[in-house]
Amino acid sequence: MGSSSKKKKEKQKDFQKAKLKVGKAKGKPENFTDTSFKTKGITLTQQSLTLNAPTSNSQFSHHLSLLSSKSDSQRRDSLAHLTTSITARPVTSPLPQPVSVILPTLLPLILDANTGVRTQLLKLFRSLPAPDVQDHVLQLLPYIRAGMTHLAADIRVSAVEVLTWLVDVAGPEVVSCAGGWIKTLNCFLSVLGWHTEESAKWSANRASFGKSGSKGTPMMKVLIALGEFLNAGIGAPEPTDVEMGDSEQTPGVSNWEFPVGLAAVHMVPDTASPYAYLNLFGQPRDAEGEMYETWEDRYRVFSTRFMSAVERGVENARKEGGELGRAISGVSKVLKESSAYGRVAV
Amino acid sequence: MVKRKLGALEKVEADLPNLQHKIRRDPKSYIEDFRAQHYQYESHREIFMAAPTAANDTGIISLRELIDFIAHVADCYPDITKDFPQQLMDILTQHHLVLEPELREKIVGSLVLLRKKDLLDSATLLQTLFPILITTPSKTLRALIFQKILMDIRASNAKSVNHKLNRTMQTVLFNLVTSDRVSSKGLWAIKLIRELWKRQIWSDAKTVDVMKEASLSENEKVIIGGVRFFLGGDKEREEMEDESSDEEAIDIGKVKHQTTINKKTRKKARAVEKAKATIKRKERKKGQPHPLNFSALHLLHDPQGFAESLFYKHLQNGKSKLSLEQKLQVLQLVTRLVGLHKLHIIQLYSYFQKYLTPRQPSVTSFLASLAQASHDLVPPDVLEPLIQKIANEFVSEASASVVATAGLNAIREICARQPLAIDDTLLQDLVMYRKSKDKGVVMAARGLLSLYREVNPEMLKRRDRGKDASMGLRSGEKKERRFGEDEVGGIEGIELLEQWKEEERKKKRAEKGLASDEEDDEEEDEAAAWDAWNVEDDEDSDDSGGWIDVQSDAEIDLSDSEDEKEGRPAKKAKQDGEDKDKTGSEDKAETKKQNLATTRILTPADLAKLQELRSQAAVDALVPGTKNRRGQTNTTRHKDDPLTAEEIEGLAALSAGKATREERIAHAKEGKTDRADHKSVTAKRKERKEEQGKSTTNKEKARRKNFFMTLGKAKSKGKRSLVETRNVLKAHQDRQKRGGRRGNLGTK
Repeated sequence: MGSSSKKKKEKQKDFQKAKLKVGKAKGKPENFTDTSFKTKGITLTQQSLTLNAPTSNSQFSHHLSLLSSKSDSQRRDSLAHLTTSITARPVTSPLPQPVSVILPTLLPLILDANTGVRTQLLKLFRSLPAPDVQDHVLQLLPYIRAGMTHLAADIRVSAVEVLTWLVDVAGPEVVSCAGGWIKTLNCFLSVLGWHTEESAKWSANRASFGKSGSKGTPMMKVLIALGEFLNAGIGAPEPTDVEMGDSEQTPGVSNWEFPVGLAAVHMVPDTASPYAYLNLFGQPRDAEGEMYETWEDRYRVFSTRFMSAVERGVENARKEGGELGRAISGVSKVLKESSAYGRVAV
Repeated sequence: MVKRKLGALEKVEADLPNLQHKIRRDPKSYIEDFRAQHYQYESHREIFMAAPTAANDTGIISLRELIDFIAHVADCYPDITKDFPQQLMDILTQHHLVLEPELREKIVGSLVLLRKKDLLDSATLLQTLFPILITTPSKTLRALIFQKILMDIRASNAKSVNHKLNRTMQTVLFNLVTSDRVSSKGLWAIKLIRELWKRQIWSDAKTVDVMKEASLSENEKVIIGGVRFFLGGDKEREEMEDESSDEEAIDIGKVKHQTTINKKTRKKARAVEKAKATIKRKERKKGQPHPLNFSALHLLHDPQGFAESLFYKHLQNGKSKLSLEQKLQVLQLVTRLVGLHKLHIIQLYSYFQKYLTPRQPSVTSFLASLAQASHDLVPPDVLEPLIQKIANEFVSEASASVVATAGLNAIREICARQPLAIDDTLLQDLVMYRKSKDKGVVMAARGLLSLYREVNPEMLKRRDRGKDASMGLRSGEKKERRFGEDEVGGIEGIELLEQWKEEERKKKRAEKGLASDEEDDEEEDEAAAWDAWNVEDDEDSDDSGGWIDVQSDAEIDLSDSEDEKEGRPAKKAKQDGEDKDKTGSEDKAETKKQNLATTRILTPADLAKLQELRSQAAVDALVPGTKNRRGQTNTTRHKDDPLTAEEIEGLAALSAGKATREERIAHAKEGKTDRADHKSVTAKRKERKEEQGKSTTNKEKARRKNFFMTLGKAKSKGKRSLVETRNVLKAHQDRQKRGGRRGNLGTK
């Protein structure tokens, strides 16, 4: 039984105490794990080691990225920061980021559920330089329209406010861009509830769905916005344009000989996308999404599709009187002017 | 990035489901709100279409919700939403690759919903979904679309067959399979067709044509899909049918009874209504004529061409990439076609030559295929070398018993189909194996022997022929069937009917006690039969759906008396002498065959009885223990059923190594009648009572009583005083006199 004694020895080995020897390191235990490692450098992700504060530019883009944050207050504060940084910069210096970069992150906020965010957003919009906005009307409008037909009344109102600002800043572009005329008017009618004869009557109990905001003022805001929008679209053209052909004594471009007088037509256009009406790269458009670039086009569309509904609505609003009646005056004025001019022109 | 969910507060504001609910109830009042939401959807769509890839979460969520909302109420405002389906289809077809999965599913679901609301026709929907099914790389989307397509086809064929839709869809599938034979896209066509075939929605020749093209494609998966369909599609269909008809039967009486007892709630009332509707539907289904379902193999237009091209393309072709297993499946299909339609592919038999060795993997399948491929129009000299080879390679004393069994079984199966394929020396050699020690071999050899006793006893040795065959030979009844000779067609089971009639007549005569007086009886019978037929005719014209009283003894004999005249001299002759006996019996044999079919007009009653007898015979053949099991290969198996490798393996398939214990038990039980049939009456009664949820008898209760409950009484019994014991005994005696505790004698 040599093997059994061998086994016994092996078993014994486990329980024998390791002898400590002088001048030698203590033996490592059996369950020892080597945790040492080698590295060229250690990076601590939590800590910023830069000594100088972030530049205003980088802060700007950081806050821009915070706009999609979950927290309402974060979004609002970031918007406020952006607004101040835009307004506080020297007048001559350009924006920290171009409008084309800023806008895509701003646009979804038009539909934001939080009122504070939306008011702050409007402030930011107002601080943007007008000429830069003019080129981006086409991107802005769908969001505004979505806001105008939103279920929540507050969002509807603030979207109308944004539209008012936009018409103010870039009126001609708003009414002449693709889908800008018919679709926006449709939204107006749906906000006001003027679409059908039945729904326009004040006596009809218009079952308005969703939480309506504070009564009275929203309606007025919408009516004023509609007046401005109509004015931009089919209001009487500015007097200088009208007189251009008639006044012969004033020396000007219009008085020149035939080929030279039309020189402006042959010049390089000064708008951002002069050939947008060709729609070379976009989706095919239908009647609603079409561009209506001239006054005549817009008036024709308006008179065929919307005139009756708007007049009916105006009439009812006037009968209602009060603040609403006063607010309607802008709209009715535009209507009168345009129809007068339309009769002359057409 | 973590998905941004709409917070609770946001939801309160934008409560589309609430609006949807209100619109459902009063569409007219909420038209303005709907219009606003439609504009909202339009704007969101515009935003989305401008940059489908860059859309953010909020935008997608709101677009999804709007699509859902509009799809649900679209039927209320058809003029506002007339473009909606087209827009959805555009989004899906153009951007299905980049769409967010949930939105994608929502769009598909909404399209199906619109189809249900009839705002979209099936053809358009299918034409939109099908290309996506084929092209999309997303597995979930494919599964969803497949299910939706299937559902739509089923739904549109539910009430009546929508031929137009089926035709367009079948054309699409056909083009899919034929346009690109190398790609595996044809699999979708196969999957779809297989499912529809199973549910008996598509069961026409065009469907089969698509599958035929699939099995001739270049892609292995598609080929095997097509081949599998032909091999197993019909069985699947049958199983499905059985399943659906096996739905648990509802006992309407029980349900009604329960409602009288239980609490009456609306739910229970609904359950009763449902049960009634189910029963009604079932009754109607029973009344409907059974739909004619041809198997896929029968619906092929050109089986010869199909089988040939399958053979040359996938088997004979050296370049085909199919594995052995796949090749075997193709071979199975080819041989089944050959056997079923009696086709001629002469090269097929020489193809087998190479594979008929015991070392070949899954050789039994090859043997089964070979047997399937032989039929009575195959030239015997083509089969003969094959049989010779099987005999040489498989059947010898030196080879393993399993191998010998397989060889013998294969030879038997081939010879059952073409008896001329073997010469008598070889046959006599093989029959000798019935003296082998192995049971499998013995059984196989006996099978061969009994087969030849039936088809051509002359080839056997005289002493192997057996009594029946020898007598048949002597009387000239059993003759060798020549090549290409066809049996004179008859009515299946007519001899059963005749036999039955004979017995009936005998019974009747025995009842009346008139053994000899036949003529009058017959005439009476005849008149009665005509009457019966006429009555039935009237009933038929009145209501074809109702029950028809089948009178079992309504029969018409036109020339029965003449038959009897012929028959009776024969009987007399039997008594006279042996010489005449022979001629008599020959006469009988000749007349027997055509007696009924040619001399009488079979009444509907006769045909019904014939059907009954036929099914009875089929059942009898399956029950073990009956003597007439010879020629089993011919009778029990339907012509359409395939021959499997297991049948070739014979007893070896059951050998201990392969079958588990459960399988063996199941096999042993297979033919046996249910054990419950032999139970005692009491046991049966008890079982029935238990099933109905009724109580047991007092006796039973006493027997089942817990032992510990009886202990106390037993103990106290021992401690009783003499007086107590006397009283008890007295009372007992008294009770006995009265007839029990409830006896009717009254107390003294």
